[in-house]
Amino acid sequence: MRNIMRKEMKLCASPITYWFILFGLMFFLPGYPILCGAFFTTLGIYQGFLYAREANDIEFSALLPIGKKDVVKGKYLFVCLIEGCALLLMLAVALIRMTALADSVVYLSNALMNANLFALGGALLIFGVFNVVFLGGFFKTAYNMGKPFIIYIIVSFMFIIVLEALHHFPELGVLNSFGFDNIGLQVLLLLMGLAAFVIMTLLSYRRSCRNFEKIDL
Amino acid sequence: MSIIEVRNLKKEYPSFTLKDISFDVKEGRITGFIGRNGAGKTTTIKSMLNLVHPNSGEIDFFGLPLKDHEAEIKKQIGYSTGTVSWYPRKKIKDIVAIIREFYESWDDEAYRKYLKLFDLDENKTPKELSEGMKVKFNLLIALSHGAKILILDEPTSGLDPFSRDELLDIFTELKEHGVAVFFSTHITSDLEKCADDIVYISDGEIMAAMPKKEFMKEYSKDDESLEDTILRMERSRTNA
Repeated sequence: MRNIMRKEMKLCASPITYWFILFGLMFFLPGYPILCGAFFTTLGIYQGFLYAREANDIEFSALLPIGKKDVVKGKYLFVCLIEGCALLLMLAVALIRMTALADSVVYLSNALMNANLFALGGALLIFGVFNVVFLGGFFKTAYNMGKPFIIYIIVSFMFIIVLEALHHFPELGVLNSFGFDNIGLQVLLLLMGLAAFVIMTLLSYRRSCRNFEKIDL
Repeated sequence: MSIIEVRNLKKEYPSFTLKDISFDVKEGRITGFIGRNGAGKTTTIKSMLNLVHPNSGEIDFFGLPLKDHEAEIKKQIGYSTGTVSWYPRKKIKDIVAIIREFYESWDDEAYRKYLKLFDLDENKTPKELSEGMKVKFNLLIALSHGAKILILDEPTSGLDPFSRDELLDIFTELKEHGVAVFFSTHITSDLEKCADDIVYISDGEIMAAMPKKEFMKEYSKDDESLEDTILRMERSRTNA
């Protein structure tokens, strides 16, 4: 599997895929829907897929002495790696905002979502949606990616709008906790996001393996 | 001894069908797979590489079914799918650095030898290579991991007569080193120059699969060249 990952990282990925991880720093922005940072990270991955398609990567990979399932696994692992890097960056920013910047007025008066552990759970949810809608859609043909990406844009922005709006409901204000307030709930929400990500990714991976096996390249 | 056995391969498309394709590729021989454009050569080759899924039929390499031993078999074969280039903007040496990790049998000495023999510059990108050099690049990879058989889809298509001649000479040299070559072509002179065996396909059907000498004996009329024979067979089939 190490050889497949090296292929993904050195031959397939576009530099933009790596640069767009930095959009995780959007968790620093007050007055901005910070989950867009997760969306922009996936936009970088999408650019990498376009680049790989131009390079005939799928056909090349299918000719390597590996099973077709491993081709799919390589793509999913690489995407999860990029998503994981962006998430670590977001976690670092969230921890800074929860500690050193916990009393910052600019964040306390922010009308939009606070960068806390719930927001990280939200980012995981966006990544999970990407893995289901875009990756799952791509592996139906191993070629068409415009339609799956447009569907992903619509679905992910619906999620972003809903997640941004939730804390404005009187009983859900607790979702926007600052610092270590309601930390138990924050951790729980993060874990729920993680569980949703893992389940969505695994289900999408299995479906993609089945679909890719049937495709005529 | 057969190292590839294709049996009753069938693939249906809305406007084309491969009809019960069967043939063998023998060890240490050059097999030319001839047919006009659209006859089913690429579909057959893609099925042999598991890129296309046949509706039915069996493909065995070294006595092992492809569907159950895909990775193991692909370690022992080399391929070139026409003039398609992989990662056109990456340097050859960077592509090779990744590919070699997939083959335990990768031989650096052989790689250097063929790099020199084919006059390839590993600092070039596939985009900078001519069509003939692209085929040589694919051959370089195949030969560096000690492929026992080369499966090549129209490797001479688009080449000038000199490059074609040079490539066919390379096939003959590889055969002398025990490598079997299976290549598709629509140019009959390629077969005259180097093929030991002929597999002739027309409209998705195998018309003949046998040694070239037998083919000439069975199908050629007096003083007819291989090209004339195949053209006559093709015309009579089209007119039928």
